[in-house]
Amino acid sequence: MTYKLGRIIAVHSYKGGTGKTLLSVNLAASLAKEGRNVCLVDLDFRAPSLFAILRKESSESWANDYLNGDCEINKALVDLSSSMPGNGKFFACLANPSTESIRDMSTKDRKWEMQALGRLLALRDTLFRTGEFDYLIFDTSPGLQYSSINAIVAADLVVIATTGDRSDVNGTSRMLRELYKMFEKKTALVVNKVLDAGSKTKQEEMDARAKTQYQVPLLALVPCFCEILRAEGGLIFPRDKPDHPFTKIMGEIARKIDSDQTQ
Amino acid sequence: MNKEESIGRKPLQVLEKIRDNLERLNEKMEVMIEIQKHGQRDVLQPLSDAPMDVMTLLSMPDHLRKTAMTVCRCGRATAEEISEQTSRARAVESAYLNQLVIMGHLKKERNGRKAYFYLDRENIG
Repeated sequence: MTYKLGRIIAVHSYKGGTGKTLLSVNLAASLAKEGRNVCLVDLDFRAPSLFAILRKESSESWANDYLNGDCEINKALVDLSSSMPGNGKFFACLANPSTESIRDMSTKDRKWEMQALGRLLALRDTLFRTGEFDYLIFDTSPGLQYSSINAIVAADLVVIATTGDRSDVNGTSRMLRELYKMFEKKTALVVNKVLDAGSKTKQEEMDARAKTQYQVPLLALVPCFCEILRAEGGLIFPRDKPDHPFTKIMGEIARKIDSDQTQ
Repeated sequence: MNKEESIGRKPLQVLEKIRDNLERLNEKMEVMIEIQKHGQRDVLQPLSDAPMDVMTLLSMPDHLRKTAMTVCRCGRATAEEISEQTSRARAVESAYLNQLVIMGHLKKERNGRKAYFYLDRENIG
């Protein structure tokens, strides 16, 4: 049975370093700030990073354990609501950063991946049925990794983080044609690290690229902010810098997604 | 149950049996029609237990992928339930589902007149 109460959003990209985790965390925080109940899941098992950004070095159980079938999802959830702005719940399900776990996750076979997809799909029933959560946000590995494709298949909306880098533009276009389209996934684009994002010419150029080359809606252009680089992953902007332009952009993205203006 | 009732039920049971057999025959014919329509290449080697992971989904022809993904989301469903979600005819979905069973990606179970299709995630491999 499909529960329409909540939505699963997968944040994905063709290349690494496009800002997937930055977008995932700040989107989750923006939605929570708007009063939505959010659960952020780290599915980047090759390079777990949410634990460091959210400063949770240990967890009773990890996302790895849930997908392994070793625990139920409630054991792998960490409640961080008190450290986030707004009235919404902010839970996280972290990927185990130990080298042993990273190695273990990279050796899984097709049967395991199929079962993992089943467990990701089951989250919809477990977390949305009771109305406990409004959004599940999957932070994924870049490119065509098993775990990311599982996340894409399970998601209602895929937010693609991309940059102006030529190889990224090329790879993202191919991924849109050969992956998302095959799964008939609703997708939206966030172009990150844009120089001169405020200029009209740049906006028109990006709009045209989204329409002609990518053929998906453009959610936002995110300028290249020095403050983001300086923060070194230590800031959650809706919480720590409520008046920063990046916080405002993330707020707009959250509102667009929340009002389903992603067509 | 008295003797008269028992005698009265027998033709009914025979008719039900004939109807079930006709339905099964119809399903097999639907699969054969689909195989001819889309070509043998779409029906890979009949496998006993072929895990339906995302890479397998990606390698499927579009018409089968849509059905397979809907079963992935539902877990267990009849052709009727799948057709409601894909907006394709029940007979078409029934053919695709049976094709996926032949390919070893799905399991099929009958419960009375209804045939349920599902992914056997635990026992495949």
